[in-house]
Amino acid sequence: MEKVICVKDLKREYHKKSGLFKKNKNIVKAVDGISFDVYEGEIFGLLGQNGAGKTTTIKMLTTLLAPTSGQCQVLGYKTFGEEKNIRSKINFIFGGEMGVYRRLSARDNLRYFSNLYLIPANLQKERIDNILELVDLKDRADDLVETYSKGMIQRLQIARGLINDPEILFMDEPTVGLDPVGARMLRDIIRKLKAQGKTVLLTTHNLSEVEELCDRVVIINKGKVIYGGTPEEIKGDSLSLEDAYVKLIEEVSE
Amino acid sequence: MIFRVIFSTMIVQMKQSFARPMFRFCLLANPMLNTILLYEMYKNSGEENFMAYVVLGAGLMGLWGCICFSSAGDINRERYSGTLSLIFVAPTSFPIIILGKIIGNTLMSLLTLGISLATAKILFGIDLVLESPGYFLIALLASVITFIVISSVIACLLTLSRKTELYMNCIEIPMSLICGFVFPVSVLAPQVRIISYILSPTYAVELMRMAVWGVIDTTLFWEKMSILILLTIIYTLISVFLYKKIDRRVRIAATLEVA
Repeated sequence: MEKVICVKDLKREYHKKSGLFKKNKNIVKAVDGISFDVYEGEIFGLLGQNGAGKTTTIKMLTTLLAPTSGQCQVLGYKTFGEEKNIRSKINFIFGGEMGVYRRLSARDNLRYFSNLYLIPANLQKERIDNILELVDLKDRADDLVETYSKGMIQRLQIARGLINDPEILFMDEPTVGLDPVGARMLRDIIRKLKAQGKTVLLTTHNLSEVEELCDRVVIINKGKVIYGGTPEEIKGDSLSLEDAYVKLIEEVSE
Repeated sequence: MIFRVIFSTMIVQMKQSFARPMFRFCLLANPMLNTILLYEMYKNSGEENFMAYVVLGAGLMGLWGCICFSSAGDINRERYSGTLSLIFVAPTSFPIIILGKIIGNTLMSLLTLGISLATAKILFGIDLVLESPGYFLIALLASVITFIVISSVIACLLTLSRKTELYMNCIEIPMSLICGFVFPVSVLAPQVRIISYILSPTYAVELMRMAVWGVIDTTLFWEKMSILILLTIIYTLISVFLYKKIDRRVRIAATLEVA
């Protein structure tokens, strides 16, 4: 299998200034030298506590953030400097209710993002209809998004993430706030994507989801990778993946 | 493809903007109120053609207000709604998307001129004289282009900062005053006039006002038009340069999102 994501000794620092007159500079190391590879067709999990550096890593991989140092490549191209070769082939979904135009309908949102992803006009209608059906929003497709429930907005986010038929889909806590039916629907979509040979990189706090979906995972803590392997390898002799995960986090925190 | 992106962005922008009560206030109520205010100020001033300062002034103030609070403010709205990062990493170039937004806003904001004109006619029944309509149309077209380019520079700079609302409030009124939207810049102090004459809207307003009074000296009209075009080209080059810079800068400074 071909390597589609290559991360080597990747670092990202944030510089924060405080103080009104005498500015104090603080450097926050959000990602502190992580390395991992993802292969084509894999579902790869990025686990870690809140603030561990998962979202920052995804933002660097999706060309949103510049790395401070290290290697960050997607589909063989640098995410900072060669991003034009990457952007049409990837997409991302961030959990929560952000990332959609609330004063437009779902169909208008998808039509607009289709245009931004330069999808030919003759393909747009059919693709939008199929995606709306996939995320179960076809009946409300022409209603304004501001009238949607939280779960519906999140499903629209998923639809938006699929609009360019991406080779790699990045998902940052995509099931946060979704009801059990919506979460199952998303898991089914992820499995379908894998069956089509797509690569998915996802972060989640739901460890049963990880067990169910992920081929391999890395666990990040305070910006560093503390473990990598298959969910079974992480679980080892523990009763559940959650037990093994908590034990690992406690060990490095001591 | 690029035209489809610009056109669809314009439509999305117009729908989004018009759905906001604040934008509707800036677009519809603001020019009416400004027209009333300016009419009361100018009615005993000796200026008989109210088109020059009252209608044009109120319309341009409204136009500029809409541009500030929409073209510039949209960067912040997109940032807070999580869509700024999405449009930034889309395969379409970010400046093209911003251009579509600005064109949509500016074209819709032109309505302020019509509202100001209608208010002056209906409320005060004054005769509005436009001596050189052909020249006025040319000046108006040049003005629209220069406002689009200025908005583009502002929107670009505001992508770099999260203090967008502060800055757009800071530029709204001073620009109206310095560029002479409601009075001739000749009444300003000489030091301030230097700033006025490096800002292209100053020439845009003067050209429209010349057309309202009637263009007698065509050489002077085209001289001012040449300066306006030159400044617009310079702003365009600045805008292109800035967009190239910010493409890297925003990803280093992490200003595309709220946190």
